[in-house]
Amino acid sequence: MNADRHRISRRTFVRGVGAAAAVGAATAVGLKLRGSEPQPWDPAAFPPPDESHVAVLRASSYDGDLVGVVLDGLRAIGADVAGARVLLKPNLVEYDRGSAINTDPRLVHAAVTAMRSMGAASVAVGEAPGHRRDTRFVVEASGLADTLQDAKAEFVDLNISPAAPVPLHSRYTAMGALWLPTAITEADVVVSMPKMKTHHWAGITLSLKNCFGCLPGRVYGWPKNALHWQGIERSILDIAGAVRPSLAIVDGIVAMEGNGPIDGTPKDVGLVIIGDDPVAVDATTSHIMGFDPDEITYLKEAGRFLGTSDLSRIQVRGEDPDAVVTPFAPAPGFDGLGATAVGGQ
Amino acid sequence: MVASEIVDALLARSRAGDGGFGSVPDAESEPESTALAAIALADDNAVDWLLRAQRADGSFGIDAGGVASDDTALTCLALPDGPALEHALDHVESTSGANAVGGPGAPPYGWSWTIGAHGWTEPTAWGVLALRQRRPTATSRIDDGLAALRARACVGGGWNYGTPESFDVEQPPFVQTTAIALLATMGIDDPLTASGHRMLHDRWRDEDAGFLSLATAAAALRVLADPDADEAAALVEQRASATPELGTIALAWASIALGEGLRALDAS
Repeated sequence: MNADRHRISRRTFVRGVGAAAAVGAATAVGLKLRGSEPQPWDPAAFPPPDESHVAVLRASSYDGDLVGVVLDGLRAIGADVAGARVLLKPNLVEYDRGSAINTDPRLVHAAVTAMRSMGAASVAVGEAPGHRRDTRFVVEASGLADTLQDAKAEFVDLNISPAAPVPLHSRYTAMGALWLPTAITEADVVVSMPKMKTHHWAGITLSLKNCFGCLPGRVYGWPKNALHWQGIERSILDIAGAVRPSLAIVDGIVAMEGNGPIDGTPKDVGLVIIGDDPVAVDATTSHIMGFDPDEITYLKEAGRFLGTSDLSRIQVRGEDPDAVVTPFAPAPGFDGLGATAVGGQ
Repeated sequence: MVASEIVDALLARSRAGDGGFGSVPDAESEPESTALAAIALADDNAVDWLLRAQRADGSFGIDAGGVASDDTALTCLALPDGPALEHALDHVESTSGANAVGGPGAPPYGWSWTIGAHGWTEPTAWGVLALRQRRPTATSRIDDGLAALRARACVGGGWNYGTPESFDVEQPPFVQTTAIALLATMGIDDPLTASGHRMLHDRWRDEDAGFLSLATAAAALRVLADPDADEAAALVEQRASATPELGTIALAWASIALGEGLRALDAS
């Protein structure tokens, strides 16, 4: 993608879906759009994209050749980070020993190494934990600090790093603008690196929801309750539309099911999912988790303007998603989600 | 140069040309960083910046599109007596978090991070502390804030960001939020303070890898006259200059823990 994360050409635009039909579908699953604005985004900011590519790769443990896995995935989707300033955004909402809350530091280390070997000009790692104001504690306790020291990679505390208001080009919330760290806005390539988890407010949390952690708590609080008041699903759409990750790398080696994103149960899945369209990555991952992406309200809506959620339009490399479906226990309040899963047994 | 002066020198690197303090060196001045630094350093230029940054409704914060952060209560602890302080206190007294833990429309409310959202631990602690220190006649709001802190206390004592239980699962307390909440409760709610103090005394070392957690713990332990207070302060001194990329808030807490700024936060 060569240093332009705002380029939209990687996404596939679903031309056949009429706005009215899409609005009806969204309303049916609970995301009520503004009646006067059936298309709450600026088309010039979200032009029709090209194809979406997703690679599904096996990785049975964190002790294997994760650099090779990430490189295989990046090459399979045709990623080009040569000369780019890359910011990796893992999910580190808080720390609890023995849990599967956070993106594993070993996968982050592998991503740093892979990006460098593909010619990235710089690679930094940034996060604004949502529950803990003391980011350094989370980074130290989780082992990420040692990992990054070993990799000689910079960590950016997005809770305190310089930030500025950025106008929104979508209007799912009434926020109008977001206060975003310059580490995000000035990066050429932002890579969302979520943990594969269920979520008791949003159904699932993957590369789109992970963008919440780009917003500084010193503006939005701990937790970022202001975003919940705007509607979590609406906020996911506006924030992901502003952050616009170019790439996504999902930690599905050990995932979390049930009462995620904090108190769920670790689940061995043994997969890493990598793609150049976060919507397509999340849709594919949702399918692998046994959840129909069309039943994930915000994900279906994101498929209208931000990327491709239609599984039939995603170019998949590596493992066949149907062959690696691993049904997850849904989060509380989402009990019916798995029952309608595409391919979910 | 003594240790507290080293911390103050590190903190001073975040002072902007306009007299305020950014969240890190070279960042633009912001109310929260400036207020805490003003308390730590007794910095008149920082106070002048705050006086210029007051919103028309008396509040302080960052306006981020449709979201407005609210740092007014903390800022009240940095302002001198006068109309600006009274205007800010009026805002603190008249605003509250949306119903947080008592069900729709039911108290207690506490105070929120952003105007119009739920009340949470840290902003509620600042609300209680600000009114106790600068407008103690506001008893109903102080009582509401204390009730909110009681409702948000974790089982066994202490506080996290404000969720003692989530989907029938008890959530653990954090050192940093417990330390700040204790500054608000000490001297006015002995049982709540005692349970939080036990948690802080028992666990502050578990989270001392985080400098902000360590610095806030050192401040609270000092006010509580805890036997670990000197040990915590020594660790703050030791790590302040050895820990890279500390933000203004963390350094301001370190300065407060070691210096005279703690007086402004001591309501005991």
